[in-house]
Amino acid sequence: MNPTVLAFETSCDETAVAVVRGTEILSNVLSSQVELHARFGGVVPEVAARAHVEAIRSLTHQALREAGVHPDDLDGIAATAGPGLIGALLVGHSFAKAIAWARRLPFVGIDHMEGHLMAPRLQFEEFRPPAVALLASGGHSQIVWVRDWGDYETLGSTIDDAAGEAFDKLARVMGLGFPGGPAIDRESEGGDPTVVSFPRALPDRPYDFSFSGLKTAVVTYLQRAQKEGSLPERKDVAAAVQEAIVDVLVDKTFRAVDDTGVGVVAGGGGVLANRRLRERFAEEADKRGITLCLPSPILCTDNGAMIGVAGAFWLSQGRITDWAETVDPAMRLP
Amino acid sequence: MKVLAIETATPGSSVALAEGRRVVASATLVDRTGHSRFVVPAIDFCFDQVGWSPQDLDGIAVDVGPGLYTGIRVGVATAQGLGATLGVPVIPVSGLDALAFEAATGHRHIWAVIDVRRGELAVASYRPVPGGVVRDSAPELVDFEGLRARLDSDPSDFLVVGDTELIADKVLSGLHRVKTGRPLYPTAAAVAELAAGRLERDDIPPPEEVRPLYLRDPDVTINWDKIHDRGPWG
Ligand SMILES: [Zn+2]
Repeated sequence: MNPTVLAFETSCDETAVAVVRGTEILSNVLSSQVELHARFGGVVPEVAARAHVEAIRSLTHQALREAGVHPDDLDGIAATAGPGLIGALLVGHSFAKAIAWARRLPFVGIDHMEGHLMAPRLQFEEFRPPAVALLASGGHSQIVWVRDWGDYETLGSTIDDAAGEAFDKLARVMGLGFPGGPAIDRESEGGDPTVVSFPRALPDRPYDFSFSGLKTAVVTYLQRAQKEGSLPERKDVAAAVQEAIVDVLVDKTFRAVDDTGVGVVAGGGGVLANRRLRERFAEEADKRGITLCLPSPILCTDNGAMIGVAGAFWLSQGRITDWAETVDPAMRLP
Repeated sequence: MKVLAIETATPGSSVALAEGRRVVASATLVDRTGHSRFVVPAIDFCFDQVGWSPQDLDGIAVDVGPGLYTGIRVGVATAQGLGATLGVPVIPVSGLDALAFEAATGHRHIWAVIDVRRGELAVASYRPVPGGVVRDSAPELVDFEGLRARLDSDPSDFLVVGDTELIADKVLSGLHRVKTGRPLYPTAAAVAELAAGRLERDDIPPPEEVRPLYLRDPDVTINWDKIHDRGPWG
């Protein structure tokens, strides 16, 4: 059974709506607030929540129109229930629940991280458990062992900053603005990462990350290099910073792949849109002869389709979220 | 004419179903953070009680504020979702208007007050007219002292409605001629009645004009230095 689902994602700074049938995208539209938050140097929760209210209604019409789906043809409604910004989450959740109630359709609240985890299903039929997935964004970094759909074990996560947060902070230090991930990705193009080498913090726990030490190392390095008049070009420093973050993510993820013996590796979250990280994932997967399921960047960053594919799965399993349920900003995968 | 009214902009949440201007079902909960858990089950309960189905509705009324930002958005998003999918108009109603409308009795001038946190109050004044009230001027934000000064300079006999418990000591004590009245919070019943009047007059705004009434910009500062910072490369 492949339910047709109207799905909403409003956990952070993208208002996103999609129509998904099973694992097939019928439409996937979004209104990005990146520009809105850029001048504040980060996502401002109240600004985000306000923008979601303004955008969600017309975006929903657009998603249904582009999908060519009449609301009567829907089998269910899904919305992100957490983790995320509470005010932002509540906009999509409330709007979605209202539609489901009015149309007498089942509603299901979805864990945003499970959305990222399931996004590769939209593009790869071969994405099947058991698998290991790296989920990395501005808010989260974790390595998840997918034993089966719905049966997950988080093997490791960041002990301080999320990977995307590290990109943001380091971009700021280098004067590259917000958001940092895409800025560093762009700047490092043509840069030489070997001009300077930054430390890779690898905590004792085999699958955990740490990025706060890297920021200190970069700040100290830049101050000294500037004083000594030996400052390299910015693109070289950007490339070295990117290499340091990517190295840690790749090292830990593939250690988990080796230890669990899975034949499939996947990824999701905005950081997985990084070109160097995608390159390294491809190399490492190739080396091991395992299947790589890394969706296009547009499906790595926050989107509605990932909530739709997770929603379609859970609705087909008969899961229905009660009308009295609300969002959980601190929701976590097991 | 069948109307569903949603009020989740203050600590007192309520929903109501009205046939014309007559409320036929309602539900209330006083809980500062419970809006999202309350609103759909409450709507479901009310429809069940009167045996209506969602398709019977002619319009949806919603308190768009001022009040608690998160609550306002739960109400507006819920109303927008229902309106969009049922193809019926959404009528935005100010919580201050709803307070004054419900309190209107006799000849007294009315001051409606809603707590918007951080030491500020949303206020507006109204004069009674046959069948309701007319607002004297646009709603504004004042601190406690500001409200006291406004009330002090109002020469009429007036009634204060809304968050009167909050302002009892700091604003109302020692003021003469002042009377406090109910309700404490806007009610969905009043929101429904105000909206029913607008639906009858075909006074229906386009959907994109149904938006929260915050009365305040988000609390953020633009860090110009940060924007123009180029790091050590200048
Ligand atoms: Zn995300």
